[in-house]
Amino acid sequence: MLKRDHQVVLPTQARAPGFRVELKGTAFRLVATGAWTVAEAAQLDMALKRLRVPIPPTPDFTGEMDIAGIAEIDTAGAMLLQRTAASWEKSGLRTRYAGATEAFRILIEEVQRRGHAERPQRETRKPLQSFTEDMTKALTGVWSDAVQLTAFLGEVTSALGRMVRQPWRFRTTSFIHHLDHAGFRAVPIIALICFLIGAVVMQQGVVQLKPFGAEPFAVNMVAILALREVGILLTAIMVAGRSGSAFTAEIGSMKMREEIDAMRTLGIDPMDTLVLPRILALVVALPLLTFIGDLMGLAGGGLMAFAVLGLDASNYIDKLRDVVDFQHFMAGMIKAPFAAVIIGLVGCLEGLKVEGSAESLGTHVTSAVVKAIFLVIILDAVFAMFLSGIGV
Amino acid sequence: MIVENGREVVIRVRGLAKSFGSHQIWDGLSLDVYRGEILAIVGGSGQGKSVLMRVITGLVKPDSGDVGLFGQNAKTLSPQDRLDIERRWGILFQDGALFSSLTVLQNIQVPMREHLDLPQAMMDDLAFLKLSMVGLPPNAAHKFPSELSGGMRKRAGLARALALDPEIVFLDEPTAGLDPIGATDFDHLIRKLQQTLGLTVYMVTHDLDTIFTVCDRVAVLADKMIVRTGSPAELQRHPNHPWIKEYFCGERARAATPGERPRIPA
Repeated sequence: MLKRDHQVVLPTQARAPGFRVELKGTAFRLVATGAWTVAEAAQLDMALKRLRVPIPPTPDFTGEMDIAGIAEIDTAGAMLLQRTAASWEKSGLRTRYAGATEAFRILIEEVQRRGHAERPQRETRKPLQSFTEDMTKALTGVWSDAVQLTAFLGEVTSALGRMVRQPWRFRTTSFIHHLDHAGFRAVPIIALICFLIGAVVMQQGVVQLKPFGAEPFAVNMVAILALREVGILLTAIMVAGRSGSAFTAEIGSMKMREEIDAMRTLGIDPMDTLVLPRILALVVALPLLTFIGDLMGLAGGGLMAFAVLGLDASNYIDKLRDVVDFQHFMAGMIKAPFAAVIIGLVGCLEGLKVEGSAESLGTHVTSAVVKAIFLVIILDAVFAMFLSGIGV
Repeated sequence: MIVENGREVVIRVRGLAKSFGSHQIWDGLSLDVYRGEILAIVGGSGQGKSVLMRVITGLVKPDSGDVGLFGQNAKTLSPQDRLDIERRWGILFQDGALFSSLTVLQNIQVPMREHLDLPQAMMDDLAFLKLSMVGLPPNAAHKFPSELSGGMRKRAGLARALALDPEIVFLDEPTAGLDPIGATDFDHLIRKLQQTLGLTVYMVTHDLDTIFTVCDRVAVLADKMIVRTGSPAELQRHPNHPWIKEYFCGERARAATPGERPRIPA
């Protein structure tokens, strides 16, 4: 904002912007006063739009922007003046400025010079076109994801093979670190969640089976459900959310800061140092966590059985012994290492796909969790079909 | 309004102290910023140059001391007065700090939308004008910040800082990360805008070229306070302080002195 005189603080009424148009001899004059600043621009804009452009009766009429009465001006004010002057010029009035200080003149000339740039329109896509484009992108995205994940599985397998032949490549420290973070530290939350879900399923089971007088069978339901499905699914989903995202974030931020490129130039294989320890740690941790999840699910069910069925602990355990078969336990357990591989692969692959920006990191962390959970559920469904197919 | 030596003091900082944990960065820091000048704040790393900017703009609270903004004490401002004062300055953060979900044009219009009730056509006119004034091509208007180079992001950030025609602009390392050509262009741009818009420019910088070509005055942060202020030439001639001597009379400073390169005329 430029002021005519910086030492003077304007009283409010003198700040009010205004203008009038008068005809003096053969000159149309726009006499502007007050503060022509962005704060007043809306009001000035409206008033100036209502102003009719004077039509010169003969060609020797001229226009004049008298701004001697303007106390403050900024780019918005200069732009409004300039817009008016341009419309006057268009109707055939040669228009000049009068009463500008040096600073005002510099600003107005700058605005004059800048005002003519062409304006590109923002590209907008038609709704149908954008729908089909997004659809195509999503479908090809699914395909390319599948290809990438398979390729990555191959890479990890060959890296694993190499490590078996050259066991000194195994990074023990890193493996233990991830075992601690992804496994041991996940115990409390997984235990709590499985306990609660076990209790909820038992309570609901009893409520629903009561009309049929079949409420003792709620124990069967909870026991089989917890061992076959709930334990492994809840654990895998929690681990995907906790550790899959952490893998993506850790590897992704290293990728962002070019640490992974630095590793490669130093002759360190990120596959050995970053990917394998994480995936192997998960393969060890997830079955252990699932076991804890199974136990806690049964414990939660037991608490509820005591509360609503009046079964005490020894009765409950006896019942479990009748119902539960080793098969049921194994049907859940067998899925754990596969789920671990999926979560680890997706987490690490998404991390390696991160590009330079923080936004990219965020997107990949989100998609790692979504993809991992989705694939774990698909895996679970495939196993359910397979296991019931072979009669387990 | 505070007037000193015939010039209006727009920012007056007195007796500022600030510690982070056990590490005290300033103790009794005082500084005046005059209307219409381009002031550079220099100092070694960890002296709190950027923090000082944040304290003045109210993003960080000092432990003690006073900040005067346009003659009013920042401590006693009502929220409404504070808002009115914030409209009178614009800030360019190091990497532009553009909102990543908005296009450049929308970014420039954010302050207008928040503070004023302007018709869309007028906001477009103004935003395109600002875009052109900071030297960005019109086709940058509809790009997202992630599609711009670092230099363009800084320019777009400057355009947003200028959206409401502020009286003061704060620049945090405006030329950091730019190549020498881009940095020189940016120096010229700052000088040009300062003249056209009558701005007061407060910049944090390391760039000796910037200091010697565009800055009217330099304030040196060292020993937990502003140890000296003066024109770049003055500080070079009479450093009177070991850090200033090293900074203004070192090899890099000699290469950047105005003898080698014409000063952009004020």
